[in-house]
Amino acid sequence: MAYSNPFWKGIYNLLIGLGVTIRYLFSHAITLQYPTERWPMPERSRGQVVLLSDKETGKLNCTACTLCAKACPTAAISMDRYKGEDKKWKLSKFDVDFTICCYCGFCEEACNFDAIKLAPKYEYSSYDKESLFYDMHKLQEVGRDVDYTPKRPKKKAAPTPAVDAEKTEGDVKTDSEQPPTQPESPNDKPTKPEGDK
Amino acid sequence: MIEPAPAQYTEEFEVNMGPQHPSTHGVLRLLLKMDGEIIKEAEPYIGYLHRAIEKICENRTYNQCLPFLDRVEYVTSMSCEEVFCLATERIAGMEIPERAEYLRVIMLEFNRIASHLIFLGTFSLDLGAITPFLYCLREREDIIDLFEMTSGQRLTYNYIRVGGVAADIPPEFVPLARKFVNMFQDKVDDYEAILTENPIFLARTKDVGIFDKDMCINYGVSGPILRATGVDWDLRRDDPYSVYDRFRFEIPTGKVGDTWDRYMVRVREMRQSNEIIRQALDQLPEGGTRAKVKPAAFKPPAGEIYTRIENSRGELGCHIIADGTTKPYRVKLRGGSFTHTQMIPEIAPGVMIADLVAIFASMDVILPEVDR
Ligand code: SF4
Ligand code: SF4
Repeated sequence: MAYSNPFWKGIYNLLIGLGVTIRYLFSHAITLQYPTERWPMPERSRGQVVLLSDKETGKLNCTACTLCAKACPTAAISMDRYKGEDKKWKLSKFDVDFTICCYCGFCEEACNFDAIKLAPKYEYSSYDKESLFYDMHKLQEVGRDVDYTPKRPKKKAAPTPAVDAEKTEGDVKTDSEQPPTQPESPNDKPTKPEGDK
Repeated sequence: MIEPAPAQYTEEFEVNMGPQHPSTHGVLRLLLKMDGEIIKEAEPYIGYLHRAIEKICENRTYNQCLPFLDRVEYVTSMSCEEVFCLATERIAGMEIPERAEYLRVIMLEFNRIASHLIFLGTFSLDLGAITPFLYCLREREDIIDLFEMTSGQRLTYNYIRVGGVAADIPPEFVPLARKFVNMFQDKVDDYEAILTENPIFLARTKDVGIFDKDMCINYGVSGPILRATGVDWDLRRDDPYSVYDRFRFEIPTGKVGDTWDRYMVRVREMRQSNEIIRQALDQLPEGGTRAKVKPAAFKPPAGEIYTRIENSRGELGCHIIADGTTKPYRVKLRGGSFTHTQMIPEIAPGVMIADLVAIFASMDVILPEVDR
C-alpha cells in the first residue's frame, strides 16, 4: 500500500496541510482595513484617561479629593488643590502623564464622583513627548463626548458636598508630590463598595 | 600544474546570538562557541529586560502590585495575578466567592490556550512555517476579545484581584465563550493537519533536542517540558488550587522528550484546557465576585508563604513576606522560564545552530519572566 512508503506518506500529509490552506483561501477575510474601518471598542475598554464633566453645567465632576492620585500605582496623576470661598476643595492643577500611566484603571475605581474614567480612546500617539502630558483642560476636552453610567444615583444637590471628600481612606501610600492636607480619618467607612459594576 | 591546497585547518569561533535575534523571543543573548555548524558551548546572558518588578512591589500596596505583575509575563498575565492574589489570600485567610473562583479558572485556562497559541505560532515560524502563525493569532484574537470585554484590556488585564475578580463578566461573555469552545477543537485539528505529520516539520523536530528525564528534574524544570519527558506532574492536579479539583481533565505526557513531544504536549493541553472551560461554563454558579476588601487599607497579618500554580510554562511561584502593613515586605517570583533558560548550557553542545533555534522555540521561554 502506498501509504506505508515514507515518500508517499510525506506527500499525502503535505497535501492534507495544503488542503487546510486552500480551504481558508476561499473563506472570507477576517482582517479590517484599519484607518478606514475600526473595530467597535467594548464598553469597559481601558484607553485614555479623561476627566468627565457634568452634562448640563459643563463643569468638571471632580471634587479634588485626591483619592485617584493616591490609588495610582505609577504616580501618573499629579494634582494641586485649594479651598475655595465656599469651603470646598477646588482643583488648581490636574495633570496626567501618559508616558508613565499604565492604564490599570485604579483611578477610575477609586473615584466616587464619576469624575475620572478610562475611555475607549486609543488614537493619541505622538512623536512628541510633551504632547503626552495632559493638563486639566485637555483632559476635560477629550472627556466631553464620553458616555458613562453613574456609579451611584445622583443626589438632588448637583455638586457633591465636599464633606464627602474628607472621608477618605487613610493609610494610603501617596506617590504624588502633593500630600493631602486635611486630617485623615482611620480606615473606616470605605466610601464605595469594592468590586461593583 | 595544480598547487596543492594549503593544509586545511579549522578553528572554533564565538558568535553572539541575540540580544536582537528574532528567534530568541525577546532579548536573550547566547554566546555560542562554534565548530562550523556545531555548537561546542553555549552560555546565556540575561538581564536585558530587568525592570526590578519585585522591588517595585515592595513599595506598593497589595492591590497596586497587580498592574506590575501583569508585566512579568505578559503572555499569560492572568496567571501572575492569580499566584500573587492566591498568596495574599492565603496569608490573610480569606475566603473568596465561588463564582469568582470559577471565573478565575475560566480566565486562566483561556489564557493558557492563548499562550500556547503564541507558542505554536512562533514555534512554527522559527521552523519556517508561516501559515500556522496567522491561524493561531486569529484564534487568539477571539480570546483576547473576550478578555477585553471583561477586563477592559487586551494584554495586561489587571482582572484578578485580591479577594476575587475585578468585575463580573458581561452578559454576552458566556455565549461567545461557548461559541469559541465549540469551535476550537476543529481549529486545533487544522493546526495539526498542517504541522503534526508534515515531513519537513518531522525532520526538524523528531529526535531533535532530547531532554533527559533526570536532567530535567535536577534542573527543576516543570510544565510541558517536564511532561514531554514522560513525568506525569501537573500542579493543577497534584497541588490543587482554586477549584481545579472539580474538573475532569487529562495530563498529556510525552515519551521521548524531543522537540516534537514538547509540541505535541502543548497541543493536547490546549484541547484539555478547552474541556476545562467547557465544564467551568456549565458549572458556573451565581453570586458575588469579590470578597469585601478595602483595596487601599488591606492589611494581611504578618506571615510568610509560598504558593505555586501551573501556568503555561511551568511552575509559577510567588513567595510573599508580609509584615502586617499595607505593603508586602518582600515579593519573590519564581518563573518557569528562568529555570528553563539555565538548561541551555547543558543541552546545546553538539547540536546544530539551526536545531538550537528549534529547541529553544520548543521550550517556550519568555524573556520578561526570566529577567523580571
Ligand atoms: S490608569 Fe492607573 S496609572 Fe493611569 S492614571 Fe489611572 S491609576 Fe494612574
Ligand atoms: S478621585 Fe475623582 S473626585 Fe477625587 S480627585 Fe480624583 S477624579 Fe477628582
